[in-house]
Amino acid sequence: MIGVLKSLGLTMSTMLRKPVTIQYPSAHRSVPERDRAFPILLWDFEIDESFCTGCHACERACPVECMTVTMMDNPKFAEGKSKRRKILDEFFIDYARCMRCNICVEVCNFDAIAMNNTWAGHELSVVDRKDLVMDREQLLALSKTRQIRPWVPS
Amino acid sequence: MALDPMTHERELETIDFNINIGPQHPATHGVFRMVLVVDGEEVVDLVPHIGYMHRGAEKLSEFMDYRQAIGYQDRTEYLAQFNAEMTYVQAVEKLAGIEPPERSQYIRIILAELNRISSHFMFLGAFGVDLGIIGTSFMYAFREREHILDLFEEITGDRLMYAYFRPGGVAWDVPRNFKERVRWVCEQALIGADDLDKLLTDNEIFIARTLGIGRLSIEDAINYGATGPVLRASGLKFDLRRDEPYSIYDRFDFEIPVGKNGDSYDRYLVRLAEIHQSVRIVLQALDQLPEGPILPERLPRLLRPAPGEIYMRCENPRGEYGIYLVSRGTTQPYRLRIRSSCFANLSALKHMTIGHYVADAVTILGSIDIVLCEVDR
Amino acid sequence: MSLLAWGLFGVDMNVWLDAFLRLQLVVVVMTVTVMFLIYFERKFVGRIQMRLGPMRTGPYGSLQSVADALKLLTKEDLRPSTADFWLFELAPYVTFIPAFMTLMALPFMEGWGVRNLQLGLFYIVAVSGVTVIGYIMAGWASDNKYALLGAVRSAAQLISYEIPLILAVLAASMVAGSLNINDIIYLQDTVPNIVLQPLPFVILMIALLAELSRRPFDIPIGESELVGGPWVEYSGIRWSIIFALSEYALLWGMSILTAMVFFGGWEWPFGTRSWWGDFDFLYQLLLIFVKSFLLILVVMWVSATFPRLRIDQLMAFCWKILLPFGFLQVMINGIVLMYLKDSEVARDIVLFLTSSALLVAMGYVIYWATRQAPREVRVGPEYALGSISR
Repeated sequence: MIGVLKSLGLTMSTMLRKPVTIQYPSAHRSVPERDRAFPILLWDFEIDESFCTGCHACERACPVECMTVTMMDNPKFAEGKSKRRKILDEFFIDYARCMRCNICVEVCNFDAIAMNNTWAGHELSVVDRKDLVMDREQLLALSKTRQIRPWVPS
Repeated sequence: MALDPMTHERELETIDFNINIGPQHPATHGVFRMVLVVDGEEVVDLVPHIGYMHRGAEKLSEFMDYRQAIGYQDRTEYLAQFNAEMTYVQAVEKLAGIEPPERSQYIRIILAELNRISSHFMFLGAFGVDLGIIGTSFMYAFREREHILDLFEEITGDRLMYAYFRPGGVAWDVPRNFKERVRWVCEQALIGADDLDKLLTDNEIFIARTLGIGRLSIEDAINYGATGPVLRASGLKFDLRRDEPYSIYDRFDFEIPVGKNGDSYDRYLVRLAEIHQSVRIVLQALDQLPEGPILPERLPRLLRPAPGEIYMRCENPRGEYGIYLVSRGTTQPYRLRIRSSCFANLSALKHMTIGHYVADAVTILGSIDIVLCEVDR
Repeated sequence: MSLLAWGLFGVDMNVWLDAFLRLQLVVVVMTVTVMFLIYFERKFVGRIQMRLGPMRTGPYGSLQSVADALKLLTKEDLRPSTADFWLFELAPYVTFIPAFMTLMALPFMEGWGVRNLQLGLFYIVAVSGVTVIGYIMAGWASDNKYALLGAVRSAAQLISYEIPLILAVLAASMVAGSLNINDIIYLQDTVPNIVLQPLPFVILMIALLAELSRRPFDIPIGESELVGGPWVEYSGIRWSIIFALSEYALLWGMSILTAMVFFGGWEWPFGTRSWWGDFDFLYQLLLIFVKSFLLILVVMWVSATFPRLRIDQLMAFCWKILLPFGFLQVMINGIVLMYLKDSEVARDIVLFLTSSALLVAMGYVIYWATRQAPREVRVGPEYALGSISR
């Protein structure tokens, strides 16, 4: 009988502890700096173009082949404003295929892609699966509006 | 109920009842189907059906290079990811002849042991639910598991699929407050284990449900290829960390809990005791953690191990997890075969269940602690 | 306010109308209490599990029961096409109506009940046993072999646990010498029956858990194996009649009964001292509700903590442990009450001592029984020859 009473005593004592759950949509728990949601592209504010040059390194390294990249000649290079010869033309990432393994961030030579470490990266419900294929503007949106400070592993 | 020796039919006409504990069920851990043939309430035969979760991890790994294939190891063993990654990464390192630096070896051991703790917490929670405590044991176990997963999120960025180990070391260094955080998590883990101990271990109802259920003798366990806590609960003191030490396990001092009877109660006790031993290892490793690089100096961009084959095995929370790797000198493995611990443990299910009641079948399945993705890969 | 002491509204009215109005009052109170209890259980069990419970519907989730009831009312009313029509439709009512009929014999205040029956206890216990028929009807009519299995198991469990329940209340009523609940309460004005008879109290609580199919005895609604038991084919409001209404109504009714029989009801500690004059009944109502509420709390607490017993362990526990100790208690009560009917103090002390001794003995027997080696496994793997692809 003692064991039974011990269990009862334990459940009574846990009742007096603070509840460990929070009310999710009203309250969010803070995500750490290294949180790894889906990848986003970074915007270079000094030159006003994307860091990404479209070199296909991440596209080749992706295990699930979720990216499609095209590059074009950089008009700003011809004008002399930028050092990048080629620049990104189109960039599609299918968030439904991405497995968030971080390899694209590691292989990028230009530190142009980073993992989204905000809550917006986690709250991505859509009604139609096609809406999960993100194009260039959607990928650059967070960085252009200076909403995130991404963490790129050194 | 004698059997006619010629036709193997029973002489007295009775109908056996088939109970299908089907793939969608709250009690089977994952999509596992077992068909119980019962005579009244007693299980006469058990036919397991697996393969509902086969996703071709081994075949897919043949198209990945050695860094990309780490993700599949996570997803195969989704409760003990660091242990699976460690097995794979050590297999590649041995083939390629790379020696990981000291700091990353220690980090790997710390994270693998913490992952063992979190996997055992998952077992404790789910075992309570299998027995009928809807929710209470689950919440206590998951409270502690959340602490560990939060720590992993601070280090690697992800809560469940880390892909953090690399052949040669780990991908990036741990944050600055690593030691304090790990110490705090260990304290919380001990409190949580204590809670679950008070809730379940001496509880008469729990004992009545698990004592003597699903006995597996040492000979049978070895014959079925069961390893890990299932084997240790049957009485054999065999642990790969002590008997074939890999990585730097020979520098730590820990005990190996062993059961006496091989029933479900012993398997529960062995896993509960292993939590304490893992905390011991983690604290020792924290004291010895050196500074230094985490990846070797000259590491090629794309790894091309020398042609050859290797079988590397490690002690997962569930048993012996083995990677058999064949390389032809290219960037992709020629064959990556996973020796799954749960598959062998599960093969003993029929032997353990026959003769017990229907409710015990669920208990025994819970006490083996399977991860369906590992059984089916 | 002595209006409420006899007849409603102080008017001498037709006996049937009077009974009907009282019944309506009890129904209203029961419905509100049941809705409150559902909400309270979810919050309480949530707190035990270190989480919040319902928080969204209304302030702190207090309108959760209303939301649940509305949702269930608007659900599709399913019936399997091969189900036996009349049995399927009537089964929830056969389960619920006896649970509600027990409330008719309970005196909620001094002298106020729907009816004051001389055989009150007998009536309550007899009527609450009719719910078993509802379970069997549901299991049979659902045309589902798992429902049938659950119904048969639950019938076995409910019928078996009726007997310790009866023995426990019998032991308590022997001390009072009457089956009328009012008499039992009157005789507890100085010392409640829990002190005199702790063992029947424990037996009654355990039998109550089993009668309500709550953990640790919830094999009929075993959620980990045969999910749902005999009620697996029911949906919508029909399902909620069993799981919400009848379970919580029976829980509330039986806990009020336990509070009356063992804790002194509205009498102990200071129920009938007339301190409050005409408002005495408020204090009595408060006593009754607080005591029954505490008992409900204990039932919910136990229910949230323990794993479930296997069916054979359940039956063994009833027939081999609760039943013999119940009988012993009744026999010893008889002997003590026969030979010590002169001195009340001596009788009380001897009753207390014998009952506590039996309680300790029962605890020891349970401890010893759980540590026994289980039965030998009778069927080995040799029996399963050639049955791979059956």
